[in-house]
Amino acid sequence: MSEPKRLHPATVIFNLLNGIRYSVFFIVIIFVTLNDIHLIYAILGEIALFTILFIASFLSWRRFTYTYRIEEDELRLEYGILVRKKRYISKNRIQSIDLTQNILHRIFKLVKVEIETAGTGAEAEASLNAVTLVQGEALRKELKTVVKVELAENEEEIEVRTPSESISRKRLLIAGATSGRIGVLLALGGAAFSELERFIPTDFYNQAYSWVVGLGLIILAVMIVAILFLLWIIGIAGTMIKYWNFNISKVNEDIVITCGLLEKKHITIPLKRIQAVGHVENIVRQPLGFTTVIAEIAGGSNEKGEQFSTVLFPLMEIGEVDAFLEKFLPEYVTNQSEITRLPKRSMKYYLVRSTLPTLLLLIAVMIIIPQFAWIPVVLVVLSILLGYLQYKDSGIFIDGKRISLSYRIFSKVTMIINHKRIQAFNKKQHFLHRKEHLATVQLSIIGKMGTGKHYHIKELDEQTVEELESWYSYRGG
Amino acid sequence: MRKPPIHTISHDAIKAWRITAVLYEAILWIITIVGLVLHFVIDFPIWIVWILLAISVVSTYFFVFLFPKLRWKRWRYEVFEQEIYIQHGILIVSRTLIPMIRVQHVETEQGPILKKFDLASVSISTAATTHQIPALSNEVASDLRDKISALARVDEDDV
Repeated sequence: MSEPKRLHPATVIFNLLNGIRYSVFFIVIIFVTLNDIHLIYAILGEIALFTILFIASFLSWRRFTYTYRIEEDELRLEYGILVRKKRYISKNRIQSIDLTQNILHRIFKLVKVEIETAGTGAEAEASLNAVTLVQGEALRKELKTVVKVELAENEEEIEVRTPSESISRKRLLIAGATSGRIGVLLALGGAAFSELERFIPTDFYNQAYSWVVGLGLIILAVMIVAILFLLWIIGIAGTMIKYWNFNISKVNEDIVITCGLLEKKHITIPLKRIQAVGHVENIVRQPLGFTTVIAEIAGGSNEKGEQFSTVLFPLMEIGEVDAFLEKFLPEYVTNQSEITRLPKRSMKYYLVRSTLPTLLLLIAVMIIIPQFAWIPVVLVVLSILLGYLQYKDSGIFIDGKRISLSYRIFSKVTMIINHKRIQAFNKKQHFLHRKEHLATVQLSIIGKMGTGKHYHIKELDEQTVEELESWYSYRGG
Repeated sequence: MRKPPIHTISHDAIKAWRITAVLYEAILWIITIVGLVLHFVIDFPIWIVWILLAISVVSTYFFVFLFPKLRWKRWRYEVFEQEIYIQHGILIVSRTLIPMIRVQHVETEQGPILKKFDLASVSISTAATTHQIPALSNEVASDLRDKISALARVDEDDV
């Protein structure tokens, strides 16, 4: 495998599609401006642009080679059209190798290989856009001597002794139904509509408006419910496609995750890159007793999930978390029952923080359009409730060399962090806090893309914070 | 109650901060004066000029006269063998612990204003955070940098 190799010719198509995606703006501009002169010019302009894109895609494929030299244990990449770049990555420095297949890849039986080192960039250190499945597997085997886990064909072939867990179809359905994606979809739909609005002729708009108003309240309500229901179904489908056949297993010193229906993913997470482990209960899942297990991984992993952390398991019952961690990450099992909550006197800070924006909104609405005042009133009530929940769910618990902390922004988050993973400890107090013996704590760990991730627990009892400080301090008490 | 760190930063920090604040305040004053001129030239509403003037006076008092002194009083640091301990903040008092084994690098830097007073600031970076001790005398700053750098050279367990 030491001869320079090219990527699969299908890369040209991938590059072309990517090029089109990035130059959509140009395509539109060229068409609109040249169309003013004559349609022919517009078409010629577009053809010219596409030719350039195609040539660029072709050249960037032609000029991209990768070599793996076994003797020197190095992966060598050479790429670039005008500026030639050579990148050598030593095998020992490779942290993880992720394989991904989207629909196009699967048509051609290809796979995208992303190789990551400990470097902290947004992108993978080496990204082979399309190699054949066989080559991809071979490459992974060469670079990472791990037990083979088949990606596309026979998923059952996983070694029996390695701990492994899959999600059931029923659970996946529940995960979709409670994902809370509906809010995101509504926002996206709203944004798309406001963009489209400018292209819709005013006449049509007015007609549609009077038609909708003429329908009457009941039909309108039915329509809104139907749209929400549809969005909910889309949300379910999205989650199910993303986490289809989700499987997590532990192979030697790595966590291996495979999932995806349309886009198949194969992610390797070295255990020593894990900075914190925890679980998130969103507002829908919490009353049903379900949670998502997540982890914070140092460096530039490309797998985004709940709150930009890496999802270790999409949905499980809260009672199953300990057994799950016991199986995969035994060093993160803690007894959560003795968690130190906040003192009563810190509740008011939480309530003020959460209700202040909605109260301001209420005042503004009362002045400008008093007949709609009921909307902010509802929001104020909800924000009081949220503030109370945020207060109730915050707390910390020190257990040997680990700390577990829980807090809520919207979803309730519980994280477990090892002492040695905490990069810095910070305690903040303003003058009201000092009077009332409260303090806010910030713990920083390594996050994605070279930035830190900071956990805040606000308005803890000063006593608790001092215990925490002594626990963290390397000088002792 | 844990004791605050013992070392204060250089007393010249107050002067350096005042000069920096004066430079920013100058922009505000220029805007105020432009407003006043516009009032006489093109009948710019006078009440806006009054508001600008009020903001200029109040903020100059706070940022040039009051805050530098309070800030200096609060700013403390202490370097132990195992960790660095920093305290700062006027209204919100912040105390930070940075273990030596988490320090990735230290650097000193000196802008034009700090240079005038022969001061320098020390930045301490971990893999997740950066902390700055501002306005130490040049000598103290470089000693501190070398000291932290030497202490941070402990064997690292895996990160």
